[in-house]
Amino acid sequence: MFNVVRNLATNVNKRNAKEYLKKSKPKFSKNVRLKTMPIFKYPVSKGDCRVYVWGLQEHGALGTIKKVSFGEEGVAFIGTPHRLSFAEYHKILDITCGYGFTVYAVQSKDNKILYGSGINSDSQLGYHPLDEKLKIPIIKEPRPIYIPLKEKTTKVLGLAAGRAHLLILTDEGLFTLGNNGYGQCGRPIIGNENYVKSKVVHCIPNVEGAKITAVTAGQDHSILLTENGEVYTFGWGADGQTGLAHYHNQYKPELVKGDLVGQKIVKVSCTADCVLALSDNGKVFAWGNSEYGQIPTCKDNQQVNVATELKIYEKLGHIVDIAAGGSFCMVLNSSGIVYVWGFGILGLGPEAQRVTEPTSIPSILFGTNISDPNTSVAKIFCGISHLGALTADGQLYMWGRNKFGALGLGHRKDQFFPLKVSVGAKIKKVACGVDHTVSICKPFI
Amino acid sequence: MTLQSYLQLTLAILKPDVVKSPFVLKEIRKLIIDNDFKIVRTRRTIIGDDEAQEFYKEHKNKFYFNRLLTFICSGPSDIYILTSRNAITKWRNLLGPTKVYQAQYSAPNSIRGKFGLSDTKNAVHGSDSVESANREIAILFKDFNIKKWYENDEVYFQSKKLIFDPHLFIHLIDKDLDMPKNYGVLN
Repeated sequence: MFNVVRNLATNVNKRNAKEYLKKSKPKFSKNVRLKTMPIFKYPVSKGDCRVYVWGLQEHGALGTIKKVSFGEEGVAFIGTPHRLSFAEYHKILDITCGYGFTVYAVQSKDNKILYGSGINSDSQLGYHPLDEKLKIPIIKEPRPIYIPLKEKTTKVLGLAAGRAHLLILTDEGLFTLGNNGYGQCGRPIIGNENYVKSKVVHCIPNVEGAKITAVTAGQDHSILLTENGEVYTFGWGADGQTGLAHYHNQYKPELVKGDLVGQKIVKVSCTADCVLALSDNGKVFAWGNSEYGQIPTCKDNQQVNVATELKIYEKLGHIVDIAAGGSFCMVLNSSGIVYVWGFGILGLGPEAQRVTEPTSIPSILFGTNISDPNTSVAKIFCGISHLGALTADGQLYMWGRNKFGALGLGHRKDQFFPLKVSVGAKIKKVACGVDHTVSICKPFI
Repeated sequence: MTLQSYLQLTLAILKPDVVKSPFVLKEIRKLIIDNDFKIVRTRRTIIGDDEAQEFYKEHKNKFYFNRLLTFICSGPSDIYILTSRNAITKWRNLLGPTKVYQAQYSAPNSIRGKFGLSDTKNAVHGSDSVESANREIAILFKDFNIKKWYENDEVYFQSKKLIFDPHLFIHLIDKDLDMPKNYGVLN
């Protein structure tokens, strides 16, 4: 009985297969077939913007990427730059990376001007009804972050992310989300505040009447730059990283004390607990942690709590870009030469662990040679332990600690000198997290 | 004759930076289990200012005391009493050096080398000696009596008569299982 049924079934299958073959036979001649053959379409971006991501995937900070490698321990990471599909459907204007999360500023006609993915343990990516179902606070795909905006035309002017807080600078003022345990969100500290699925968004419209023009975040403190070139800070101050001449936590933005008086600051850089500030006349100021000699002018003090000028102007000339990492500092002068000092893998080879004076990285390592003498570094970036330099023609060089493939070099070994990252587009901006990196690029075609 | 291989207790704290990151928390918990530690007590709490002052008493005059304190009190921490043979050194070897930035050269694959964020946010804590383990356990687990544990419970941990609760992340004693006679009794 069973056999009969099986035979019948196989017969039916055979007949179906025959019918299918009959259908798939082309009814037209060979010539016609060639003409109507589909042309293979390359996945060319519609806009002029692409986002490439690499590093540790487990946090969800890299969005939806299926091409994930697994390390020996079974940890999901992306070793080489991969295109983020989310960016194909949205025009990305700005990016920032915190510890295990990424935030994108997007051009949009409605209020969805911000998207984010990654760790959301402190509601640093805001609240969304979909999060209610999540068992662990990890958002795997970029989803909108709602901030209470009045106008539909409001634009994002700047983004910065710390360990567990997010700063969003818009036309309507500064909005802060996430952990406020040290006052890094600019509102009074509430003991034992519950940050999980919190809907709290704080707004700082201006500081003492002055418009905010740029934001920077350390791990647990925040730095604001105003239109007058003044620097205001708030948050964790235990290492002096607020530069307010004390070591306490402070939630109210206050003007940084010390050598900054009378200077017009144009850029502030910070990723952990040491802060660098650059003035319009090319001078560099620093405050915060100096345990590894990041602030060479204060040799005996490991926690500098006022802004101090680094007397490097005479030696290095006009500085045009700065980057402060966890245990090192990096500056770029107007001739395109990169200088590093501090402790760690600085790009000066495996022997150089501790460098007390600013030391230049040979420019030949950034692609300057006889046949290509005009190539020079235009921008520098760094995370807590990895460093990057961008040349004027959009080539990215990275070095330092290779935590979970955060250097994008296709392996997980530390890199002791700058090496070019292969990205199939011109890179415009790089944001370094702790163990992941995200970049905005312009396609070649 | 004394028992040569009695179990040691140590105190482990997964600091606020780890508890915030589900992936790192999972990895460190996996390491604890893979290295054959048994979890005697587990507690998730925000360490209070008084407790932290007492806990870090020996660092009181160091320049980093304030930042140590403000960090450890900044959010929930996972506190475990771990036990294993030679638990104190075994756990400290897993941790790696205190200074995270230096760990990148000396022990890049240790817990701190891999997951530490900075010298303060160095992911985990481990007791450095039997005395400090006893002192630290007394501060953070006030109702835990070390002497009583060695008298009553250690045999169960020695003979591995335990049930592991992965949700609470604790090893519970399974008293229903038969104990071999005279196990662990001094001759």
